[in-house]
Amino acid sequence: MSEGALPKEDAVLRVDDLQKSFGGLAATDHATFAVERGTITGLIGPNGAGKSTLFNLISGFYEPDGGTVEVNGTDVTGMEPYEVAEHGLIRTFQTPRKLEGMTVREAMLVGPRNQPGESFIKLFATPGSVSESESANLADAERILEDFEIDHLATQPATDISGGQMKLVELARAMLAEPEVLLLDEPVAGVNPTLAKKLKEQIRRLNEQGTTFLLIEHDMEFVMDLADPIVVLDQGHVLTEGTPEGVRNDDRVIDAYLGGGT
Amino acid sequence: MSFLDDPKGAFADLTRPERWVLGVSVAFMLFLLGALLTGALGPTYFLFLVGLAGMYALLSFGLNAQWGFTGLINFSVAAFFGIGAYGSALMTAESSPIAGGFNPLVGLVVALVVALVLALLIGIPTLRLRADYLAIASLGLAEVVRLVVLNERWLTNGSAGVRGIPSFFQGWPVLSTFPETMPGLRLVVIPGSPIILGTSFWQSLLNVLLVLTFAGVTFFVLRRAHQSPWGRVLRTIRSDEDLARALGKNTYSFKMQSFILGSLIMALAGVFYTHLNLYVGPGDLDPITTFYAWVAVILGGSGSNRGALFGGIVIVTIREGTRFLNDVALPIDPAPMRLLLIGVVIVAVMRYRPQGILPPQRELIWPSAVDDRGTPETPDSGVREQKGGGGDE
Repeated sequence: MSEGALPKEDAVLRVDDLQKSFGGLAATDHATFAVERGTITGLIGPNGAGKSTLFNLISGFYEPDGGTVEVNGTDVTGMEPYEVAEHGLIRTFQTPRKLEGMTVREAMLVGPRNQPGESFIKLFATPGSVSESESANLADAERILEDFEIDHLATQPATDISGGQMKLVELARAMLAEPEVLLLDEPVAGVNPTLAKKLKEQIRRLNEQGTTFLLIEHDMEFVMDLADPIVVLDQGHVLTEGTPEGVRNDDRVIDAYLGGGT
Repeated sequence: MSFLDDPKGAFADLTRPERWVLGVSVAFMLFLLGALLTGALGPTYFLFLVGLAGMYALLSFGLNAQWGFTGLINFSVAAFFGIGAYGSALMTAESSPIAGGFNPLVGLVVALVVALVLALLIGIPTLRLRADYLAIASLGLAEVVRLVVLNERWLTNGSAGVRGIPSFFQGWPVLSTFPETMPGLRLVVIPGSPIILGTSFWQSLLNVLLVLTFAGVTFFVLRRAHQSPWGRVLRTIRSDEDLARALGKNTYSFKMQSFILGSLIMALAGVFYTHLNLYVGPGDLDPITTFYAWVAVILGGSGSNRGALFGGIVIVTIREGTRFLNDVALPIDPAPMRLLLIGVVIVAVMRYRPQGILPPQRELIWPSAVDDRGTPETPDSGVREQKGGGGDE
């Protein structure tokens, strides 16, 4: 079993010996790695390597059979997704999630955490505080949409925009939740090259502003250009971890992708 | 209101279905007015119908808060309605096999508390699971509640039902004797068919005021909730629960709140029904009530409070309007027509307007937050909200 061996002094996310099987299939097989604060860490691996399962385990959607997940030094193993999110870890999904009947900026406003207006009682007891935070959130949402250069879509129905734009909105919304570490599941799958380039710039910009990223991506050019370090997953365990060049020239990685693994 | 200041401008802001509904409503009101003036429709019976319409509107509001907002499939509308009806009947009626004789306000509180407990009991095991489990469990719950009411005679009087229920205003100053103290009026609009307004008319008027209060408060609460971040989380859960969870929302808690809110509104409809009908029996818990409420919500447009109101009125119109078909000589008995008509309405809506007649049509953001921005909100609601938000009363 080889591990992500790079030393991590300030890990925002630490996965230790994580296991999950479905029937007889070990989808996650003693996976261990960590994400250093301030990095864009890539997570790659052939189809069926267990990348999405790993995301679901980390974000609380699946319950692990064994092992631990730590976010910001807190053990979040077995917690509900919303509790994991409260510790600063937010994730996105591979297929863009559509919010029917909402405009883009309404869909954006779901993002901020702990809004006073999410308490039914405060709606009637302290409507002033609800208005205040709603105005602030709306201003934030519009500012982020401007940063992403999609502010012209603000009042469009959230279901009427292109798949690539949905990915941008999803990233923008996740940023409103102010994550410390953001897990992106294939951010550019099905996105045209122009938008993909834009997404890359945005991720880089947000990273420079302090957000840590962990991203799954099949587009090798995209991930090699953006992420460092890169964690390679194969058959549920971590095959290796290293710089893009290191990973690209690693024979074991090439074997895994060509299916010579066993 | 601003509609009166600038009727033309306000009318121009309405969408096409809104204008259509407005037009049909006005025509329908004129028709009713004509029927009232000519004496074809007795004023007391008319007020009873208005009460019934208010009751169905409340049921639809309740279901809309569950299905329309959050996507919870609740097939036990009749059970919560029945809990509300029986709860207040058993507390207030003379013939009640248990306590009885309490002030109707006590009955109201007891009914709501029992409905709350029942909602928790059914919600705790099912709301963590997929949506279908609530549907199955609630279908069973409705039957269980109905059979308990039918068979537990020591508690509910069984199939005999509960009689001797006082008016809701019994024991209140002024209002409890209001119908008796009002003078009987005799209006002659058309010579030969005078309209008589007696005690029962004033009693019905009080009932209508009561249901208008219930429905008005409920509508206000739901409207505010729907536009709030709270409502937005519910709508997110309806579209995609996993997304809400990933963004840090405790969806179980939100679903529970939505379920309880809706159940309480349904129980409120039951409380009103008790004091409108002055008799409740196990037949009031028949599943047909559940399906009427569902038809009303789907017809009006899921997620829309106005739609639920509209749907509730349409249901009562069909249910009671078919009685008048007796006057028109038809070769068949009109009673079965009722179900046929409702069926036809559902098929027609599903075929030509699956989103319902008045679905939510404007973006729902806490109104005072969008006032000073360029928004597609209608000017009249903007002005109204500014007043509400600024004053805070």
